[in-house]
Amino acid sequence: MSKQNSKAMLKTLSVLVSLALVLAVGLPEAAAQAKLKVGIIHIGSITDAGYNQAHSEGMHLMKKNLPNVEVIQVENVPEGADAERVMENMIKQGAQLIIPASFGYLDPALRVAKKYPDVKFVHPGGYKLAPNLGTYWASTPDAFYLMGIAAGKTTKTNKAGYVVALPISFFLANINAFHLGARSVNPKMETRVVFMGTFLDAPKEATAANALLDMGVDAMGVIVDSPITVVQAAEKRGAYSVGYHYIGVQKFAPKGWVSGIAFTWGELYTRFAKQVMDGTWKSEALLGNLASDYLTIAPFGPAVPADAIKLVNDSKQEFIAGKKNTFQGPIKDNKGAERVKAGEFWPLTAIGKMDWLVEGVIGQPK
Amino acid sequence: MIGSFLISIVSGAIHSGTPLLYATLAEAVGERAGIVNLGLEGVMLMGAVVGFTTTVQTGNPALGVLAGALAGGLFNMVFGFLVITRRANQLASGLALMFCGVGLSALVGASFIGSRIQGLNEIQIPFLSTIPFIGRAFFNYDILVYLVVPTAVLVWWVLFRTRWGLSLRAVGENPTAAFAAGKNPHRLQYQALFIAGILGGIAGAHLSLAIAKTWAEWMTAGRGFIAVALVIFSKWHPLRAIAGALLFGGAISLQLQMQARECRSRPFCSTCFLTF
Amino acid sequence: MGRVDKATAGIDLFRNKRVASLIRFSGLFGLALSVFAVVLLVFGKNPIRAYVDIFSATLGSSYGFSEVLVKMIPLALTALAVAIPSRIWLINVGGEGQLFIGALFATWGAINFTNLPAWLFLPWISILGFLGGGLWASISGFLRAKGWASETISTLLMNYVAILLVNFFVFGPWKDPESANYPQSIPFPDAAILPSFFGSRVHLGAVLAIVGLILFHFVLSRTRWGLEMRAIGINQEAARRNGISTYRYIIILMFIGGGMAGLAGMGEVSAIHGQLRPSLSPGLGYTGFLISWMAMGNPLGIVAAAFLISVITAGGDILQMTHRIPGAAVHILMALVLFVVLARRVGKVRGK
Repeated sequence: MSKQNSKAMLKTLSVLVSLALVLAVGLPEAAAQAKLKVGIIHIGSITDAGYNQAHSEGMHLMKKNLPNVEVIQVENVPEGADAERVMENMIKQGAQLIIPASFGYLDPALRVAKKYPDVKFVHPGGYKLAPNLGTYWASTPDAFYLMGIAAGKTTKTNKAGYVVALPISFFLANINAFHLGARSVNPKMETRVVFMGTFLDAPKEATAANALLDMGVDAMGVIVDSPITVVQAAEKRGAYSVGYHYIGVQKFAPKGWVSGIAFTWGELYTRFAKQVMDGTWKSEALLGNLASDYLTIAPFGPAVPADAIKLVNDSKQEFIAGKKNTFQGPIKDNKGAERVKAGEFWPLTAIGKMDWLVEGVIGQPK
Repeated sequence: MIGSFLISIVSGAIHSGTPLLYATLAEAVGERAGIVNLGLEGVMLMGAVVGFTTTVQTGNPALGVLAGALAGGLFNMVFGFLVITRRANQLASGLALMFCGVGLSALVGASFIGSRIQGLNEIQIPFLSTIPFIGRAFFNYDILVYLVVPTAVLVWWVLFRTRWGLSLRAVGENPTAAFAAGKNPHRLQYQALFIAGILGGIAGAHLSLAIAKTWAEWMTAGRGFIAVALVIFSKWHPLRAIAGALLFGGAISLQLQMQARECRSRPFCSTCFLTF
Repeated sequence: MGRVDKATAGIDLFRNKRVASLIRFSGLFGLALSVFAVVLLVFGKNPIRAYVDIFSATLGSSYGFSEVLVKMIPLALTALAVAIPSRIWLINVGGEGQLFIGALFATWGAINFTNLPAWLFLPWISILGFLGGGLWASISGFLRAKGWASETISTLLMNYVAILLVNFFVFGPWKDPESANYPQSIPFPDAAILPSFFGSRVHLGAVLAIVGLILFHFVLSRTRWGLEMRAIGINQEAARRNGISTYRYIIILMFIGGGMAGLAGMGEVSAIHGQLRPSLSPGLGYTGFLISWMAMGNPLGIVAAAFLISVITAGGDILQMTHRIPGAAVHILMALVLFVVLARRVGKVRGK
């Protein structure tokens, strides 16, 4: 490069740098106008019609309920080193309540929480607590059991299929519950599971959904970040779909929609924010159920018979009243070993230990 | 049972193999011109996102494919400028192009995540598609699937049976000698990279418009890199690439099919990949 | 004595060149910034505010700066993994895979020997990490030395195999039974976690990276090996005739290079993650390749380029928080910086 060139470049650069410096110095300190700043970190995109959108809609409702709360959202943050930095940056911007909204953010959140004892953290689905880090989640197997009832009554081929990210205990428990629910109304029901090995690979999900549909499956469920691909594939081939996470998936399957399990976090987030503002927040492990306002059964689709809807609603009341257990023995796993004895049941607090699939589910739990 | 299994495997292989084959052809054309493009992943992403957003805006997936192809072609010209005109290092330029594609497609597609499209529909070939079993395995796909093998043959024909292809391969093997023989190596290489970009863009558009029918950040998930490997395995030959892409697509689909059909799949899958 | 004089003179020249290239590089960086500013404008964002936020978040506070250093550690090491073999024109595109295998070896050492004291643990997993990455890379070196396969292709392909291998272990035999079937190894024992400094996340890997860079520079400029490497780099055939074993150099340099990437993997898994996970690296090996290339294999250049890339990538989440721009968009800025540097190089050759 010629000397003149580099000089010109140097000039441009120094202008740019000094401009930046002037702006940086002249910028007023971010004054804390809002009563509370809430930071939320998402693992994926907040318009994925799935896990992340459910959290994001919750934030929307919270903001509607509490107009002077400010929200800082960050999407697509990988679990690991980056998550910690994002949380620290949120705190630097004045966030006093942080929601690291993915399972894998737990350890990074615990490290940041230790460093900033005044900032409160609430983590979805975590299994560890800190003085300023609480956890919240809703136990889903009962809801999946209800979906099993609806799907078992609606299916014509008696075959259900699930496209699932990873064989994590919580997911295995959901599939088991779905299958037990389906079997309770339809003894011929079988459930097939395909594990993807990843939470987000839409083309691969499409291939997996088609593989299941090829097997005659006509009721599809999905546990990955974004259900859009699988639900659309099912709709296209005239199969039914069961949703999970976000309440608004029905628009992707207007004909074949059965129902779905939806997280409606809005009121819970509102309560968290209020508690932090008035100083009543305390660290706890909150585990909701069908009676909670954040675990909702989505509206039923046109294909579901009326008696199925009634049965689902009745069973829901039985679960809420404590008269019914999803994992009521005797239960054998799909290799023939007895897992729950007759007269006993597998408590919902122990589903983190579930590493098997029940009899009649076709799939490899490991 | 075995019959339907085979049919599913074949149709799964064709489905997952098609975008891989377009991508492999793209890489093969470039490498025949003497240019290794590690940025194919980025080109595919641009094709996928532009194809998807165009389809959302116009409601016409055919227009989406065209826009995606064009976007891929133009995006690859950035790469062409670096490695042909500026003679920059190919591997580094390719990786930089990949990062650029990842970022740009995320920026363009951000407001389109969760949009609904009709997508490319299956075209059932009259009569043939009604043949039991075979009909569904071979005659019930979207247009890009039908076109992929003819495209491979066309690429082969152009590369090995035309004067242009001969010159291109001459440039790829020895640019100085080709220059001495009166060829214009730069123009030929630009042409090759534009064609490669179009093929890469189609590969991406097929993922977002026909297979997944959604847009998600980095939805190619490494398929561009797999295509680079497939070119090596197919020894830079478009016809051998057909087998390679189908085999690889088949391996992906087989692993999922086996799970749906109650076979122990994981050890098998890893050995399958390792032998690759 | 004469030789020493020559060497110092060489360093002087090198310094001057360095100043010139620094100026040139700053100009190019400014160009990249302006192009990205246009991109931001097209998408309706205020570029000046965006830049102010990026730089004040990364360079404006000690915390932000420490995070840039955290990002730099693996990048400097994976860049060395490319730079070392590149001295004799070997192209190592396999940093990503070597990083994964280094992490795999280190994890094996950490979860199977939980009772070691910390002073023994750290060298132990460092050696394992180095060995893992090194052995993995020397397979490619061996294939190349034998003339059986180009190292460019074999290192690239072995990236896939390495990641599959790590997946095999975390999904299978090493899966933590307490993690609710999540694909991750058991956490490292406390003694196996690299210590970090000043209450930040800057960990011992920084020291390893600095030592690696200095040794690299020293070996190149002050030893017979450096001279022989240069001879091989200039003319392999002539070097062979002069009795230099290129065969040995190919394998050894690939081994050391891979070992550097292995150390990067060890640092990430031990200090940052604390357990082995499939999501260990967001393309650190490939970014390292680009950094080494930008720096033309020069140790100080590697530090500068790694710093720049780390600032950009660490600034990404700020863009999201304050401007609602997808975090991945900073990849565009990173790519633009690379583009202008790449496009520039020819001018220099012509200038000569």
